[in-house]
Amino acid sequence: MIVNLGPQHPSTHGVFRMVVVLDGETIVDLKPVFGYLHRNHEKIGERCTWLQIMPFTDRLDYISSMSNNFGYALAVERLMGIKPPERAEYIRVMMAELTRIVSHLVSIGFLLNDLGAYFTPVLYALEERELILDIFEAVSGSRMMCNYFRFGGVARDLPEGVLEKVKDLVFERLPRKIDELDRYLTRNEIVRVRTEGVGVLTAEQAIALSATGPVLRASGVPYDIRRADPYSIYDRFEFDVAVRYHGDVYDRYLLRLDEIRQSIRILKQVLKDLPEGPVQVGKPQWQVRVPAGESYGRVEGPKGELGYYIVSNGKPNPWRYHVRAPSFINLTSLAQMARGGKVADVVVILGSIDIVLGEVDR
Amino acid sequence: MNGLGIIRGLWVTFKHFILTYIEDIRAGKKRYYTQEGILARTRSDVRGAFTIQYPEEKYPVPEEFRYIPFLVYEEGENREKNYRCTSCGICAKVCPPQCIWIVRTTDPNTGKPIPAPAEFYIDVDICMNCGLCAEYCPFDAIKMDHDYEIASYNRFADHIFNKERLGKPLSYYAQIRPQNFAREEAARKAELEAKAARKPAAT
Repeated sequence: MIVNLGPQHPSTHGVFRMVVVLDGETIVDLKPVFGYLHRNHEKIGERCTWLQIMPFTDRLDYISSMSNNFGYALAVERLMGIKPPERAEYIRVMMAELTRIVSHLVSIGFLLNDLGAYFTPVLYALEERELILDIFEAVSGSRMMCNYFRFGGVARDLPEGVLEKVKDLVFERLPRKIDELDRYLTRNEIVRVRTEGVGVLTAEQAIALSATGPVLRASGVPYDIRRADPYSIYDRFEFDVAVRYHGDVYDRYLLRLDEIRQSIRILKQVLKDLPEGPVQVGKPQWQVRVPAGESYGRVEGPKGELGYYIVSNGKPNPWRYHVRAPSFINLTSLAQMARGGKVADVVVILGSIDIVLGEVDR
Repeated sequence: MNGLGIIRGLWVTFKHFILTYIEDIRAGKKRYYTQEGILARTRSDVRGAFTIQYPEEKYPVPEEFRYIPFLVYEEGENREKNYRCTSCGICAKVCPPQCIWIVRTTDPNTGKPIPAPAEFYIDVDICMNCGLCAEYCPFDAIKMDHDYEIASYNRFADHIFNKERLGKPLSYYAQIRPQNFAREEAARKAELEAKAARKPAAT
């Protein structure tokens, strides 16, 4: 029997359709169908000037806009050959790590939603997210569509009082609340029965499908761009690459908790030696000059390797602009994970990949 | 033992539930529908419920908060509006969704352009509140607003803001963004002084 799951269904995290071939309740095959949210992002990028693309990158993975800005800024900076000042680098890392916490909290929360724990756990996760979004709002002016990074720095310095808020969160509240979430969910028998051994992806399969981020690391491959190819100032911080070995949904959940803890660890170091100084090189320009050439800027986004490939021919807009979206590539492993499982687990497996349709369809 | 994890987990929920009532009783009437109560519920050491009852209660927005842009004008002596805008068009060029439309003023006698906008439109349904126009305006003439309640019924009549609808006095800007305003005024003053200092040296 062939069943269509989606596209208009809350459990698909957006407009996404799965064509599932069933034998009774067992999944024989699964085909993901996407493109319902296609917005021509890459073609619009070729029309826009370099700077104009920045706010559009927010709309890729709208849960973690700061990381998207980061990757794009890195790609263009590499081509322009400029380096942001120290303070800007620290602020960037701070924002990127806060974003990672936000994204993982949302992911964990909604994974529990997919399991049927209707909206209670997700609200505890979203409470922390709101407090971090307050920081983003104070810094960049918007809660989700931050548009905060510029070529050679960030848009503006941290306003008064923001640093105190971040310190309060990082040193006091977040560690406590993450532990609470851990106590609340990790040893819950229903969670364990529903997730352990479900949607297994072995290390070989994960590599063959070029999965990245939490999906890959939960399968036992300790690959993290922050370590493998350190960008910005990540080589200065002490942190562990979180890794789990079973490759099932439960491990992906645990891995995200681990990563939040590691992000808090990085944030503590950032806050300890955040220097004073300017946050942008030179004068802010609305029309940047990018020499001809091509570059690839990649960051370890919350969902995996987020890369921007740009080709410039010296004109005010890119000649080619391509995004390697982690959710899109991780989504290809869905069929592998779901095959042989039960139809009720498909929603959970999809939730554990943590896709954002804005990024899948672009 | 089976079920222990569930009970331990539910204890967390139960604690939150009880805490809300403890906080409510302790704060009395102060907790809801007062400025003090809203601020207390947005702090990071909040205990119990943290929801804000939106239309009745409003979350205070930070200074950098950005919504639809507005045009800054300085009020003249006879309450006439002197727009800072010189219709240079940088905002229209930098706008990613291209929602700004400016018509330049020309002198009717000579046909030469005058640095002031004849018409200035922003289609607020297309505007995506990125704030690039305000960031790159060289004359501090266009700024992002804090007023986010602009819903209306008619898209074509009400959602294309003209110059009149966009114009807001400088005092309003100083009120919603005191720190940015002070910083810009200081820079402006320093520039004027530098200009004044340069002039006698040149002549």
